[in-house]
Amino acid sequence: MTMTPQQVQKHVMDYLEATECQVIEKSPAHVTVKLSPRADQMLTDRPYYWGFVERTGAEPQTLSFTFVFDPEKYDAANAPAQRVSPVVNAAGGAAPGQAPNAGGAFPAESPGLSAGRDTGPGQASANPAPGAGSSPAPNAGGAAVGAGNTPAANAGPNDGILSRYFGVTPVLPRLGPGLIRREDVTYGSRRLRQIWSAAQTEGKCLHLFEVPGSLQRMTLFSAAYEPWLAVCFKVELSCDLKREELHFIGVSLLTGEVRENFGSRLDSIQLSPRLPENVHIQPYELTVSTGADLLERRIVSKLSGQDYGWAEAARRRLQGELEIIDAYYGELLKEPDEAQRLAVEEQYNGRRKETIWQYEPHISVSPVIYGLFHLRKQ
Amino acid sequence: MTHVPRNNPEQEQGQDFVLPVPISFEREWLKDLESRLDKGGPWGDWRLSRLAIEGEASGLVESFEELQCMKHLSSLSPLPHQIDTARKVLFEMSGRAILADEVGLGKTIEAGLVLKEYLVRGLVSKVLILVPASLVLQWVRELNTKFGISAVAQKKAYSWDNDIVVASMDTAKRGPHKDRLISDEYDMLIIDEAHKLKNKKTTNYQFVQQLRKKYCLLLTATPVQNDLGELFNLITLLKPGQLGNQGDFAANFVVDKRVAKNEDQLRGELSKVMIRNRRGEGPVTFTKRKVRNVPLTLSPEEQTLYDGVTSFVKDQYQESGGNLSSMLSLVTLQREVCSSRDAVFVTLVNLMKKLPEDSPRRDRMIELLQLIRTVKANTKAEKTISLIQEMNEKVIVFTEYRATQEYLLQYFREHGIQSVPYSGGMNRGKKDWMMDLFRGRAQVMIATEAGGEGINLQFCHHMVNFDLPWNPMRVEQRIGRVHRLGQQNDVIIHNLSTNGTIEEHILHLLHEKINLFETVIGGLDTILERFEKKESLEKSLYKIMLEAGSDEEIRSKVENLGQTLADLKDGMLNESEATP
Repeated sequence: MTMTPQQVQKHVMDYLEATECQVIEKSPAHVTVKLSPRADQMLTDRPYYWGFVERTGAEPQTLSFTFVFDPEKYDAANAPAQRVSPVVNAAGGAAPGQAPNAGGAFPAESPGLSAGRDTGPGQASANPAPGAGSSPAPNAGGAAVGAGNTPAANAGPNDGILSRYFGVTPVLPRLGPGLIRREDVTYGSRRLRQIWSAAQTEGKCLHLFEVPGSLQRMTLFSAAYEPWLAVCFKVELSCDLKREELHFIGVSLLTGEVRENFGSRLDSIQLSPRLPENVHIQPYELTVSTGADLLERRIVSKLSGQDYGWAEAARRRLQGELEIIDAYYGELLKEPDEAQRLAVEEQYNGRRKETIWQYEPHISVSPVIYGLFHLRKQ
Repeated sequence: MTHVPRNNPEQEQGQDFVLPVPISFEREWLKDLESRLDKGGPWGDWRLSRLAIEGEASGLVESFEELQCMKHLSSLSPLPHQIDTARKVLFEMSGRAILADEVGLGKTIEAGLVLKEYLVRGLVSKVLILVPASLVLQWVRELNTKFGISAVAQKKAYSWDNDIVVASMDTAKRGPHKDRLISDEYDMLIIDEAHKLKNKKTTNYQFVQQLRKKYCLLLTATPVQNDLGELFNLITLLKPGQLGNQGDFAANFVVDKRVAKNEDQLRGELSKVMIRNRRGEGPVTFTKRKVRNVPLTLSPEEQTLYDGVTSFVKDQYQESGGNLSSMLSLVTLQREVCSSRDAVFVTLVNLMKKLPEDSPRRDRMIELLQLIRTVKANTKAEKTISLIQEMNEKVIVFTEYRATQEYLLQYFREHGIQSVPYSGGMNRGKKDWMMDLFRGRAQVMIATEAGGEGINLQFCHHMVNFDLPWNPMRVEQRIGRVHRLGQQNDVIIHNLSTNGTIEEHILHLLHEKINLFETVIGGLDTILERFEKKESLEKSLYKIMLEAGSDEEIRSKVENLGQTLADLKDGMLNESEATP
């Protein structure tokens, strides 16, 4: 499964929203955002800086990015804008002296242009930027966008030297107004992987309650809530190749009933971290640990019904390889010289271990997320 | 809360399921959950959890046998043969293979695809990549930019802690690094220029043998350089026993060092561990190569010098009674005159230093030095300048001699053309710097032969052969720097050759007889191997130059030699047509 730019954007926006980042500008092809301290700590790899902030209590300066989801569209939308911008400036007279940008960086977006875009519907259709007018800090934000969008801003004067030494330029923080790094975020990009893994780190362990309908508060009787332990397991079936499965299953800590596709039940309701009014949780009959056992047993039972042809094939390959190795070293192990024979034996054992490591089939199960869910009893 | 001990058999209900494969559960989560329940949090955000699940779902490897990596690589469009290769390595060779494509077909891309696939599948996380020092940064750059793989160059001891490290073989095999690497385990080991592992007795070989690795890729454009035993060693490193014991191998497949028997069977065995795509075949389309031979006439002074050197060489050869080996350096003199007076000067002085004070040869040589002083201009350099000014684009100029390189640098500078040198003696930092300067500022790069290995200059499509190597493989390597995948334009090759000198004959041989410049010859290495069963091509040429009495004789002998090569080439073509 791959993802369209729209899907990628949805994921990134979900993350930015959940971590309370400040969106400065947004279009179907990109988003410019000032990270929240929380997201900055997860995404920018600046442990020393955050250590410094923590120890000194200094006001944290978070970084801003322009994430581009559809580079082609984004560049196309911005290319005509450049040609238009001086005209807009001349007409509006809004941004004195910003047109001839220094250093060959072409004037992309600037306060003048955002203003122009709002007034010029012809261009606005290409890049609507609904946030531009209403963003909380239109001046600072707009100026920052201007520099961030110029590709030249990505190649600072130091990049050549650094990349000569390291092979690639390490991502350095760019602080201050006007320094926003543009980054293309597509499926498979490092940033998207990082966002998912940050989401997992922060969101893996849950404790949630179903939000009841508004009527519940009015009714006389408190609603009974059933506690569920649910885990989304990732099952990895590996040999020299690999296949994976996801199983989101839950077990009622009241009855021990196990339900599969637990995710779809959760998707159909609203969840809140707080205990709603006028509901009560029924006491746990099973411990969390017992529940976990039941879940694992269900996984095993599900797996037992599968075809294990892949594992047999892998074992046959392993056997074949081991026979070749045994035959080869069998000859060499006849070596009369003691020291040499020991060396050969070590090599032989090493090679055998490597081969088993490479081919031996095994299954490992690990959780993606897990938690307790208190749902209205059905 | 009553705590029921885990895995208590009494508490298990129903039948037990037995899987045919061992299963392991990661159970840290339970501790985490219980401890958070004790402390009352902190709890995660449901929106983030869902994002994490969706992320996992999107990257889920749903099939054992389907290449996953392509959907993760938006900035790369590999060629069909590269994808095929990756697929074969994964699904037929289980991740242990020799990638032996001919130069310029993108072995690095193939290795990158395989690595990416294993990373995506989560079968590999710890990776060691060993390459010649000059290629370290290039690998790091390609893996990062083309594949989104966070590889780092090994710089300090702590660099080894990174998951994916690119290091130079020479550093890695030495202590203290060596011991550390041997005690580690690597999910994947990649070795570039693996033909340096052909000898069992070298430290390189023994070091790689000791490394613990799951998957392993060996990259080389020349799996067999001298004899079949090398290939055996390479395969033994990868999969000991694949070709049987050394004795079996010799008995089954080897007639002579360079001659295989039971070729079909050998090919069958090899195809289980080695993939070799050739340039001449397959759907890969390269841009054209256009050859412009530039015949030049030496100035009277240069011609006098050339004649002087030639007669000196001939006389010496006669005197020595036809002892070939000591005469080789003398033919070099002739070649150098055709390049620059600086080159011949340096060699001449060095030769003189070795002679005893009273040697009669000294006088002759001093005469030659006098002749050198009369040469004021360099016909080739003048022509090169006018060519460069005409093209007005990036140009790479190749020469065989350091002295010529120095001379050209200065000469170009005087004429206001920015040029940078590139030679084998430079350390890797300087090489990279020169490449950067050439890519950015300088119009011209002047490279000596050593510059041939491992540099990619797709952004440049003009090349000037200021003088020619006598080994066709090295000519091909030169061209391969520029004429490779990623080159957008037709490559224009200018061959400078001086009339009435040995250069003329060599150019005739390489261009007219084997058409080296224009067509990509699939299996040039094989042709040369077959030709060189007795003696290397270079040596044969030297012999002709020394022994022939007249220009006519040289011409006819070179003609014969060329014919032999052309026949071998045709023979190869017929063979490959016969066995599709």
